[in-house]
Amino acid sequence: MSPELASAQQIADELLEMPEASAVSLQMSVDNYLDVIRGVVDLFANKKKMDTIYVTATISSEAIKRVLEALDIDSERVFFVDCISHIMMGASTAAQDEKTTLVESPTMLENLMLKVEYLIRRSQSEGKVVVIDSINSLAIHNNNWILSELLHILVSGLRSRDAYTVILTVEEHSTPDISNMVNLVCDHGIHAGKLREG
Amino acid sequence: MPLKPGDRERCATGVEGLDTILYGGIPRTNTVLLTGSCGTGKTSLALEFLIHGAIRGENSLFISVTENSEKLLANIIPYRFFDRTLVRSGRLVFVDMPIMYERLGLTKPDLSMEEIDLLVSALASLAKELGSKRLVIDSITSVCYKLKTSEKIRDFILKLSKALSDLGCTSILVGEVPADSTSYSSFGVEEAIADGIVLMANMERRGDLLRTLQVIKMRGTMHSRAKYVLDLTPMGVLLVPLLKGGSTQ
Ligand SMILES: Nc1ncnc2c1ncn2[C@@H]1O[C@H](COP(=O)(O)OP(=O)(O)OP(=O)(O)O)[C@@H](O)[C@H]1O
Ligand SMILES: [Mg+2]
Repeated sequence: MSPELASAQQIADELLEMPEASAVSLQMSVDNYLDVIRGVVDLFANKKKMDTIYVTATISSEAIKRVLEALDIDSERVFFVDCISHIMMGASTAAQDEKTTLVESPTMLENLMLKVEYLIRRSQSEGKVVVIDSINSLAIHNNNWILSELLHILVSGLRSRDAYTVILTVEEHSTPDISNMVNLVCDHGIHAGKLREG
Repeated sequence: MPLKPGDRERCATGVEGLDTILYGGIPRTNTVLLTGSCGTGKTSLALEFLIHGAIRGENSLFISVTENSEKLLANIIPYRFFDRTLVRSGRLVFVDMPIMYERLGLTKPDLSMEEIDLLVSALASLAKELGSKRLVIDSITSVCYKLKTSEKIRDFILKLSKALSDLGCTSILVGEVPADSTSYSSFGVEEAIADGIVLMANMERRGDLLRTLQVIKMRGTMHSRAKYVLDLTPMGVLLVPLLKGGSTQ
């Protein structure tokens, strides 16, 4: 029997408890993706009037925007670094606007960091949240060595800029190696998926 | 923070990533060769160095050799921190080298030793008159084409950097090299004379093209020798370390 999935409010409450600029490993299930989005973006970031920098390597930023709309979440403060649309659709059809920056491919991890850095610098909000959706999608395109290097540089950079980092791990797609890599750079863990303890 | 003995005062480039690489900035009065193949971002970086200087109240001078400065200004990245009043107030001055050549009567394709001295002293008096603390020549390679021999090039760069350094001016000389070059400069002498070399390049990795920056040498300071990946953005040049994990490059 699997335990209940965490609700959006529970996820947000756990995040709200954490110190500023924490790096958080958020372990989720494919079944509570929507709760995770609502919890992190709406009930946490929006509530604290922080900009969200949403790095997606899983589904296109367009699709996430539709999800936000369907969930009636205000996306005024949400900015996307989209690592997947370019290779899926090509540069001309993938939408790039004030709110969306495209990275040519999920293998261009330096560019991913550069785009995050750009949005962090441009952001006027006091706190910021960077969401990595997800480490497993990035792991499809990159080896663990380079990913772990990325996480170290990214997380320490964000910490020094007073930004939260929330790294999503999808338990159905994860391996112990990947979990270890994430746990190594994170200060806190939230178990929102089926494997939740207690 | 007081300077330790041997610690030279820094001229912060204002490019945060580069200042970190250089432990605070270019040692003041150094002459730095900023070199790379075409389209790697040399002009953008050099210009940003001057804009940040001007914002901090240091008079800055851009000597444009290859491009007309009007056109250059029209094409620059729309930097969020660039304000045209810096130009209007004279903090940031653009001078076209061809106009200087003409005024000095240096219109021949080949300059003599005397003419080189004339050019150096004209550039130095311009910098002195304007009180320039930062100077860029874009590109030095184009000037070198008028000098022909390595002896003359050496003479020119040595005298110029001495004169600028005496004025307390920190300078960037932009160099152009072919993409496949193994040398840091077109004539091979610029790199030996310069106090510092910053190399910008394009790098291919598994089919992805990355823009990179690397500090090869910088007299008067410790510095990272690692390769960084850069992005030219309206917030200026951004740098992150090149990831090495498992790559074959
Ligand atoms: N307005 C702009 N916005 C965004 N990127 C720009 C803009 N202008 C230039 N760039 C980028 O900068 C690149 C060229 O930069 P820059 O002119 O600084 O390079 P360079 O090394 O001086 O080139 P060259 O060898 O032609 O002198 C262009 O190829 C382009 O990608
Ligand atoms: Mg140029």
